[in-house]
Amino acid sequence: MQELTNNALMLKVKSGDLDKLGLLYERHKKRLFGFFYNMNGNASLSEDLVQNVFERMLKYKHTFTGEGSFSAWMFRTARNVNYDYYRKNKMAFKQNEVSTIAYKLEDTDSIENTMQQRDDISILNRALQKLPPEKKEVLVLSKLKGMKFIEIAAILGCSEGAAKVKAHRALKDLRMIFLQLETR
Amino acid sequence: MEQEKFEMWMMEYLSGALDESQRNDFENYLQEHPQHKEEFEEMSGTWIEIDKIQVPEPSERMDAAFFNMLHTEIEKKEDKKLGWYQGLQSFFSAMQMPQLAFGVLLLAIGLGIGYVLKTNPVQAPIESVVSTPNSETEEVREQLVLTLLEQTSANKRLQGANEAAKLKDANELIIKALFTTLNNDPNINVRLVAIESLAKYVETPEVRMGLVKSIALQDSPLVQIALADLMVTLQEKTSIESMKQLLEQPDIDNTVKQKLEESINHII
Repeated sequence: MQELTNNALMLKVKSGDLDKLGLLYERHKKRLFGFFYNMNGNASLSEDLVQNVFERMLKYKHTFTGEGSFSAWMFRTARNVNYDYYRKNKMAFKQNEVSTIAYKLEDTDSIENTMQQRDDISILNRALQKLPPEKKEVLVLSKLKGMKFIEIAAILGCSEGAAKVKAHRALKDLRMIFLQLETR
Repeated sequence: MEQEKFEMWMMEYLSGALDESQRNDFENYLQEHPQHKEEFEEMSGTWIEIDKIQVPEPSERMDAAFFNMLHTEIEKKEDKKLGWYQGLQSFFSAMQMPQLAFGVLLLAIGLGIGYVLKTNPVQAPIESVVSTPNSETEEVREQLVLTLLEQTSANKRLQGANEAAKLKDANELIIKALFTTLNNDPNINVRLVAIESLAKYVETPEVRMGLVKSIALQDSPLVQIALADLMVTLQEKTSIESMKQLLEQPDIDNTVKQKLEESINHII
């Protein structure tokens, strides 16, 4: 139902009622931020990329037909924003990999259970950042609340079955990297 | 079951895409397939652990940046929409009273100059066109008068004498021709019409003198009386002498004699 409303809101934005983009922003800013944060581990950068997504949504609002899922359209845009950023800042991205994880750990004040848990999550986080971007994104998308595989398939431009297989393989690779990091 | 199908089924289970019945089917399948159950337990552990990766809350800076961008875009759009309206408004606001008055004044001056420049060259040809035929008509009429007065036919000479009355200004030739007709023409009617035509030019002293002299030269009572009436009208005192000379003639008509005496008395 909300998806229908999202579509209706975006169609209003498309027709010139730009104020409605504010509502869409309030609804989806956390999911988008979470997507970028899990993709790059940098809160400040993620905020900038969320901004870029909404700027592109305004710029390319004419491409929104209202026929498909708004979330799929939005995350397709987010994916392109992330790829563009990654392509332009490839070198800097690699160099900052460690520091962005450190930034993230500073942000995650809630990680305070046991030292072991903290270590495990830290290692898992590092493992996630080591995943290739295409695997990381399918995994991050499939972990987003309310995101269905049919929508992920639309974002990735593949079949629903292929999206599930990609998600499984990404999860499997994550576990492999995690285990490798854990044994060091 | 094929490995790939199991993987897809497992992902559906982990992502919560299955309903209760489907979840039971999957769990029952795992009970019957220990190898897949082991794989599931390994994968589900990592899947659940991912949820523990904390994602911080986005800062207020992100909200501020977004709404700042959105307001800028809305303002840009409104500026574009109002562009043509504001253009018109600024045009008309520039037309305030002093500027408007100055503009109207300039327009009026321009129209005035245009009118003068346009009308003068047009009027001049009209005048020349009108005056040219007029002068040409006068010349033709003068020639006609001179020609007609020389005709042997009394009617033609009568017509010539009548045409002479229509001239605006008679030149010396016309006046001379009319006096010749008055003093010498054998037809009385022609001479009478010549008197009428010459009466038009009595402002000229020569015409008045000619008329006075002509009184003594006339032998027709009608012409004599007509001249006497004209002299009374003109109150020409110099004509008295001429009329007295005519009175002294022995064969003078009694009617003429009375008329001349009355005329002399009126002039005196």
